Amino acid sequence: MEERIGKFIAALRGAGVRISLAESQDAWQALTYTGVGDRDTFRLSLRATLIKDVTSYDTFEELFPLYFGLDTPPLQDPASDLSPEQQRMLGEAMQQALQRALQELARDLRKLLEWLMNGQGPSQEELADMAQQAGLNDLPDSAAPYQARRYARRMQQLLGWEKLQELLEMLWEALAQQGMNPETIEQIKAQVMENQQALQDQLGDYAGMKLNDHLAEQAQRRPPINELMDRPFGSLNSAEMDSLREQIRRLAARLRSRAALRQQRGKKGKLDAKATLRHNLRYGSVPFEIRLKQRRRKPKLVVLLDISTSMRPVAEFFLRLLYELQDQVQKTRSFAFIDHLEDVTTDLHTQQIDQAVRTILSKMPPGYYSTDLGGSLRQFEAGYLDTVDGRTTLIVLGDARNNYNDPALDIFRTLAQRSRKLIWLNPEYPTQWGTGDSDMLLYQPHCDEVFQVRNLAQLTDAIDHMLA
Amino acid sequence: MAATVSDVRKALAAQQYIATDEIATVIFLAEQLGKPILAEGPAGVGKTELSKAWAAVTRHELVRLQCYEGLDESKALYEWEYAKQMLYTQLLRDKLSDLLADAQSLTEAADRLAAEEDVFFSQRFLLERPLLRAINSDQPTVLLIDEIDRADAEFEAFLLEILSDFQVSIPELGTIVAKQRPAVFLTSNNTRELSEALKRRCLYVYIGYPDLEEELQIVRLKVPDLAPQLARQAVEVVQSLRQLDLKKHPSVSETLDWARALVTLNARALDKDVLENTLTVLLKYESDMARARRAFSLGTNGHGRTDR
Repeated sequence: MEERIGKFIAALRGAGVRISLAESQDAWQALTYTGVGDRDTFRLSLRATLIKDVTSYDTFEELFPLYFGLDTPPLQDPASDLSPEQQRMLGEAMQQALQRALQELARDLRKLLEWLMNGQGPSQEELADMAQQAGLNDLPDSAAPYQARRYARRMQQLLGWEKLQELLEMLWEALAQQGMNPETIEQIKAQVMENQQALQDQLGDYAGMKLNDHLAEQAQRRPPINELMDRPFGSLNSAEMDSLREQIRRLAARLRSRAALRQQRGKKGKLDAKATLRHNLRYGSVPFEIRLKQRRRKPKLVVLLDISTSMRPVAEFFLRLLYELQDQVQKTRSFAFIDHLEDVTTDLHTQQIDQAVRTILSKMPPGYYSTDLGGSLRQFEAGYLDTVDGRTTLIVLGDARNNYNDPALDIFRTLAQRSRKLIWLNPEYPTQWGTGDSDMLLYQPHCDEVFQVRNLAQLTDAIDHMLA
Repeated sequence: MAATVSDVRKALAAQQYIATDEIATVIFLAEQLGKPILAEGPAGVGKTELSKAWAAVTRHELVRLQCYEGLDESKALYEWEYAKQMLYTQLLRDKLSDLLADAQSLTEAADRLAAEEDVFFSQRFLLERPLLRAINSDQPTVLLIDEIDRADAEFEAFLLEILSDFQVSIPELGTIVAKQRPAVFLTSNNTRELSEALKRRCLYVYIGYPDLEEELQIVRLKVPDLAPQLARQAVEVVQSLRQLDLKKHPSVSETLDWARALVTLNARALDKDVLENTLTVLLKYESDMARARRAFSLGTNGHGRTDR
């Protein structure tokens, strides 16, 4: 049992649920009070101690039955209700049927029939043995829990499941010949049918569990996050991107607490004379406690995102971080562009982030486009210039490769003047700026700050600056 | 206290709180492990009510801390009562000069004064705010920290010491350890993500909207005057409203308000007029009302018109 729970926790972690050591200890402790006798209480105890986020409930409910108690009913012993005489008949019939089919019978099919007829089901070793044969111990990296049914079918095949029906028919025949009454035969038949279903489910659950174990192991094998954060976006494979995506929340939390600290420092602002007087009335207007003006101005952001092919990973992570940090900014307007500009604010506000990222990136699917930053800026000026005012931080995320189009510097200058701050995030090395069709060196003098964002670590730092 | 999970459920039921298996299990575990409970879920599903019911079950005092943006230590934990300190200094001035009268040197006077310093920084001058009250109380208490998601992230960090060790540090007095461990309930409406550290210290329960039968049970219990047939109809309406895409879904407490309104209006059936007149109890936005009217094909101007 202990091993089971340990593996279950590992599988949850593998599925992306964060469980600390302290929490798994709580789970153990909780079980000493509630016990494992009542399945439901057991489940709820584990859930209350391990899962701290309602969005992880689904993962928990999905994995739980794979590890504990298997909702599937145990196999029944069809012979339990029979009289000794009938039991003897059943035994003989089995012998007969088996003998008649002996030549073509695989050893495994015999085992299968025995499980079904005596209601014992396979032991753990037998299951492990079958799993080994079905290739469950040697899974490819791509194996995922949804493939459980397939592996279960493979295990069934190894047992000779497709010949089973034939064998059972022989058995019923033998029983009838021995003179067992048809009603009893029907009874046994029904029971065996149920057993068949239960066994099938057991195999499925076992395969599912193996696959989840595999997933958990794989998660442990992945390279440490810190290293990934320092790798350029371009060099990440999709699994590595996934594990970075899982980290976004933690990064956001870190940025948030940093922003909170900054705001605390910000409280050391100017003297608030009115509040000080009011507050010190109770000390006879002796200014005992000084009140300061709390300046808690959260930044207003306007974001221009280049979502051309090379920029996609950066844009995606930027959007994710921004989404998590919504509470740190007053208002965000987001625009995406390649050859033209689109307002994507509502997509970000109305959808879950995964969905939103997909929607936004699919507005202009990758393909042949000629990036036109200048044109997009003109479009922005024509339609949305009013979104930029003295309290707005304007952020441009792009490589400034303008395809030899007009850079629209005049508009860029206006934007720089209108906004509180203009920040450019560029994934290219500074040495590449200004080479070929890059207009970065033209834009740079008008920016308040320019950051290179080649990897997630740099992107996080840049966003930290933005929020300041 | 409660020996099993079902004892907890029965005790809560006696206080007119219908607890699901989840809630009962979590309370039972919290009681056994001595851990705080973090209850999350939409507004008005009985998160706060739960702690009240539990206080009633245990017959302990309920100490409530309502969180809001900008809540800080001096509002949540303690504050020195400067005015009282000043008053005492004034009144005790003579006594102080007596004490210092025969001092030979300035150093000696300062030493004597320092020896009496504790008088001015004692619990006598401490204004207890909810957190300190819960910890300092001689009787065990139920501490409710309501809507923690409204407080700032700093405040959350400040709570950690209290939640894990049930102690607070006051620089002038040292560490105060709880005489009786309070049962702590935290509630959150999930408007922002709480920190990992806070969640780690709590047992978690998500309280969602109840299903039809559960809600009907609650209505019957709390508003026994409503005719059973009408109660079922009413709950069905509420449940179907929650399926709609509304700005704000009706909560359980609003269902109860509505049920009471129906009793007061002496409604016999949920016909068009009654629904039209009482919908405001359930829905708080004009656009939601319009949508609901369309869904129930009520109203004169709802049909075939898009109001957006």
